Amino acid sequence: MSDVKITFLVQRPPYKSENPKLATTHAMSYQVVEILLEDGQTITPALCYVGEGVLNCLKDQKAMETYGITSTEMHLKNCLLVDMDVYACKEDFDKYGIGEDRIIDADDMGADKKMQIVPFAKIQELMETSTHVMFF
Amino acid sequence: MKLGVFVSDYKLTVDTLDRLTAEKLGIILVSNGVYHASIKENGKTSSLLDKSANFYALKEDLETRGIDPSGIDSRVKAVNYGDVVDLIMNDYEKLAWL
Amino acid sequence: MATLTIGLFSSLIGSMNYDFALKLADAAKDKGHTVNLWFSGNAASSPQKGQKHLKDYSHGEKPLRALIEKGVEVCTCEACSVARAVQKTTAIEGVKWNAMHWYLAKAYSSDRVLHIGGE
Repeated sequence: MSDVKITFLVQRPPYKSENPKLATTHAMSYQVVEILLEDGQTITPALCYVGEGVLNCLKDQKAMETYGITSTEMHLKNCLLVDMDVYACKEDFDKYGIGEDRIIDADDMGADKKMQIVPFAKIQELMETSTHVMFF
Repeated sequence: MKLGVFVSDYKLTVDTLDRLTAEKLGIILVSNGVYHASIKENGKTSSLLDKSANFYALKEDLETRGIDPSGIDSRVKAVNYGDVVDLIMNDYEKLAWL
Repeated sequence: MATLTIGLFSSLIGSMNYDFALKLADAAKDKGHTVNLWFSGNAASSPQKGQKHLKDYSHGEKPLRALIEKGVEVCTCEACSVARAVQKTTAIEGVKWNAMHWYLAKAYSSDRVLHIGGE
């Protein structure tokens, strides 16, 4: 068994650029990566939102209604639904005055997993313990 | 963690770099990031250079912008693409692009 | 010798991150390293062949072909490419087409990953 941990760190707000959303789709692809790996090899992603990146985590995004594209919210819900670890920086939510009631969850889809609101120190720790980091 | 950070902008639009800590930090100035090695706003060098880190600037990107690599801040070492490869492979285990 | 995987999300035209990534890949290959190059986001439009080299614009086709010739493994995100009207039939030969898990699988076996996100 050999596991490689990858931290996907999103530091930019959504929609102006496609890239913050690509963090979710790339992280999600860990679900099927085994078809390209040997037996026992796995990848464990940690999807983290920091700085302006936490603005990706606001619920009630209506990108489908307004621009006809899948919202970042829907991608994030899917990440939670497949039990991916998703973290967002508490200090940054506090900085922007965003309470927990405004943060995405996937309860309506039956997900057990919740977004984990953590101090930046936890995200730093995730980076330190991961094999690779990818900044979006 | 031994972290190599590529800084590709002059005006940093993200504050991530200020928050990161690393046992060994390398800051590699590329693209418009190379202005940090040369421009003095109101007579002051970039505050980025006050960080505790090893600094490098890509020669090709300095020269592209009309900056003589021999005249950059003394804290910054001018490097070429081959040197950057060596830094990546030998000095920094994780890499970030800002 | 080691393995470097570069993930590139910036466009060929409009960002010089693309030029940087190709030059870095070339330098790493010249030093004997194994190099993988992943295109996603706006970078996924760059495998289109028949690019006209106008001097005001970065040119991707010639250096990309040279990298492939040298043995750099280049792969584009199929969804990102077709969304930008780039088709396999009109793409630069030698560029692989796959999905995002290709990038993760390469990251798995790489000593270093440089992820160059878009602007």
